[in-house]
Formats: sequence, structure tokens, C-alpha cells
Amino acid sequence: MEISRKDFLKGAAGATGLLLLAPPAMAMAKESQTSAGMAMLIDVTKCVNCWWCYAACKECNNLPETAKPDPAQPPALSSNVWTTLHPVMKDGEWTSRKKACNHCTDAACVEVCPTGALSYNEMGFVQYDKEKCSGCGYCAEFCPFDVPQMETNIITGVAIMDKCTFCHDRVTNGEQPACAAACTAGGIIYGQRADLIAEAKERVASLQQNNTDASLYGVNELGGLHVMYVLDNSPAVYGLPADPEVPPTSIVRDVLRWVGSGLAIAVVAGFGLNYLAAKLRMRRGEE
Amino acid sequence: MTEARVVERFKKRTIWFHWIHTTAFLVLLVTGAILFIPGLGGPAAGGLTRFIHRIAVVFFAGAPIVYFILNPRMSLHFIKETLTWGKDDIQWIRQAPDYYFGGDEENMPPQGHVNTGQKMWQFIVLVTGALFLISGFFMWFLKDALSPGVFQWCVIVHDVAFIVALLMLLVHVYLGIIHPRMTESLRSMWDGKISKTYAKSHYGKWYDEVAKGKS
Repeated sequence: MEISRKDFLKGAAGATGLLLLAPPAMAMAKESQTSAGMAMLIDVTKCVNCWWCYAACKECNNLPETAKPDPAQPPALSSNVWTTLHPVMKDGEWTSRKKACNHCTDAACVEVCPTGALSYNEMGFVQYDKEKCSGCGYCAEFCPFDVPQMETNIITGVAIMDKCTFCHDRVTNGEQPACAAACTAGGIIYGQRADLIAEAKERVASLQQNNTDASLYGVNELGGLHVMYVLDNSPAVYGLPADPEVPPTSIVRDVLRWVGSGLAIAVVAGFGLNYLAAKLRMRRGEE
Repeated sequence: MTEARVVERFKKRTIWFHWIHTTAFLVLLVTGAILFIPGLGGPAAGGLTRFIHRIAVVFFAGAPIVYFILNPRMSLHFIKETLTWGKDDIQWIRQAPDYYFGGDEENMPPQGHVNTGQKMWQFIVLVTGALFLISGFFMWFLKDALSPGVFQWCVIVHDVAFIVALLMLLVHVYLGIIHPRMTESLRSMWDGKISKTYAKSHYGKWYDEVAKGKS
């Protein structure tokens, strides 16, 4: 489906309007006040490459606007681009998979962040606190989905990073995330995770009649993603790692941190004992 | 107790080098530790400590280079001394536990300019220094070019070097400043001199050479 630039801008404006209204979504979210267990489902087969999710994300999060991107060369995620479309060439045509933070339950970035700048919020989504960030860039290197992107000053080491917040202010007020509200094709839905999984399973079952590789992604990956995908093909086709994991190196680091701290304490305690023992024995030797 | 300290053990420039390197390393240690030890990351927020880390490493890497250029022979001697091991060293290691727990000094084999333990420390300094600088260089300048896996292993190498260097530094500080036997160690790194008695008992082999050279 081709969409002109004019349509795109109109769509973006429309999406913003939709966001302001969106009462049904609000009601839906209000029903489940527990808010834990909310998630997003992305159905790649419904995506029409309109980029309204991208435009709505920019609008709602006050990120500098850009024109509708070229589907073949979409913008990479950055501190200004929190969601984009990952291009997929299929049957001679460009199709996409919406790409943003997947808000893992066991997130590698949270695991490796030394300052606590990355953490889980009250809804289980991965939040980022710019004030706490030291700019070390470990999140960028350890994320299996290549989501956090650092723009680092090579001399000072000061770095800029930012990422999808799952529209924290909106979802905590019972609204949908901007991208979900903007998606008119039904490709992005927000709701109770259990409900989404049930619905996704049905969709995948019918997709599997055409392609046995059709799959549901994100139910169990990394403790369960808060962004799941209905795919009409294997995850690799859509640029998703088949078996994402918190890199074992981050576990090695964890062990090293405790072992190192423990050894240092033991060594210092050992010095105390050594000092007393040596002193006593030397005094006895002098007598 | 008040014996004159007349044996020259370190040259002025070596002492300067030692303390510049020490200062740089301590700054690196503190600014690194807050990123490493669980729960201490707070002060790193904003990235200022990472900038300080980068300034400190200029001195940490620069000081040895400058020292080497100005004193190539002494530097090579230092490396050779660190890597030269003999049967006295084996003997020293056997006797060391007893000695450091206050045992008889006579049992220790005579030592050169530095004893076996100090050679181990010098070796650790050289090895961990290289590991720090290589992995650090990769993480600083080649971040974008490295695959995530390689970057992650650079972090691990940096971590391991940190643990080894920290533990050995603790030993170095304890023995140099606190241990009841090392009465002149710290001062020798201040004005470069030790007493004859201390030289004889701690570095017998070296003292004989010095005495021979002078007479």
C-alpha cells in the first residue's frame, strides 16, 4: 500500500487527534486497573507501512519531527527515534516489522546497567532515567534486540541515549500507547497480556495454514516480552533473534562482582589476622 | 632504631614516576569501582566520573611511556628483573608464609634489588596494566567497530584485571605500609633511601653488590 507524503502528514495529524479521543481504549485499560500484565501485540501481517505509529510516537513524546521515511532505508532507532519499522523484503516488496524496545521481563540492559538508570517500572516495563545514566553504553552492547543506541562524545564519554517508555504517562492514566492508538490497521494492539496471547494464537494458527513457519514471538522469550509479535514467517525473517538471551557475559560479570568484592573483604580481614599474629610472634622472638 | 638511612634504593625520577602512576591508578580504581561494585553506581550518574577516568588514563598510560623514553636502560632492567626467576625464588615462596607471620628472618634466602613477592607484584602490574589498556582502548575508541560479543569480553577482561590488580594492590599497600616487618619500605619510596641493616636483611644479594661497587 502506497501512501503519499501528504496523506502521511494528514494521517499523523489524524493520529494525534485519535490519541486525544480514544475513549474505547481508555475504557478497556481502565477495566484492568491492576495494570500489571499489560502488553502490546504487533501483527506484522496487518502493517500497511503507513508510519503513523512512528509519527504518533514522535508527536506524543515531543521528539523532533521528520518527514515520512523511505521504507527501504528507514531511520535507525536513536535518542530521537523510539520506534521505527524494520524493513523486510518479501516477495519483491518492502514490508516491515515495527521495532522498538520490547520491554523484556528479564532485560539484559537492566541487568548490566551499573547505575540503575535502567529499571523496571510499576507495570513491568523497562524505564530509563536519563539523570542516572553514566553513558557507559553497556545496555547498547548487551541488548539482544539492538535497541538502545548511544551517541557518545569520544573524548568526554558523555553519551545520549533514550528509548521507548511504553508511553509511561499515557498507560498509567489508562490510555493506550501512542503507537497503538495511531495504528488504524489493527497491527498494534494494547491490552491484557493473557488476552493478547489468546488472540495471537488464533491468528498464528490461521497463518500457519499458508506458512508453517508462522509464529508467535515473545511469549516466553526473556521471561516474556511486553511486546509480542504475530509473524507469518520465522523470527529471523523479521530481524528477531530466534533464541534471545541475556548474554552469558553479563552473568559472568555478576559472578565476578561478588567474587571480587568477597575476595577483597577476605584479604583485608586476612591482613588484620596476619598483623596480630606477626606482631605477637615477633615480640616473643625479641624477648 | 635511628640508624642513618644511607643506601640509595630508588632514584628521584623513579619515585616521581611511582607516585604519579599511583595517583592515576587510584583515580581509575575509584571511578571504575563505582561502575563495578553492585549498588555503588550512584556517583557515576551524569558521566563525569567517566570523563575523569579518561583523564586519569592519560597519566596512567603516559607516565610509563615518558619514563621509558627518559630511562630506557632502567626500564628494561625493571622488566628483566621482573621476569628473572631462580631457585632462590622458589625457596622464598616456601619460606614466605612463616616469615610474614613473624617467623625467623634467617630462613629467608638472600634477595636481589626486589624480593620474589615484589617481582610477583611487578609482574601483575605489567600484565594487568596491559590488559587494562588494551581492553580499555577497544571499549573507548573501537566501540562502534566491535561486535557486541567482543565488547562484552573486553568488559570482562577489564573486570578481571580490576579484581586481580585490586587484590594485589591491597597486598602491596599492606606490606609496604602496615606489616610490622616492613619498617622502611614506605619511606624508601619517599626519599629513596634505606638503612644498611634493612638493606642487608631484606635485600642481601643486592646489598652485597652495592657495597662491592662502592668500596
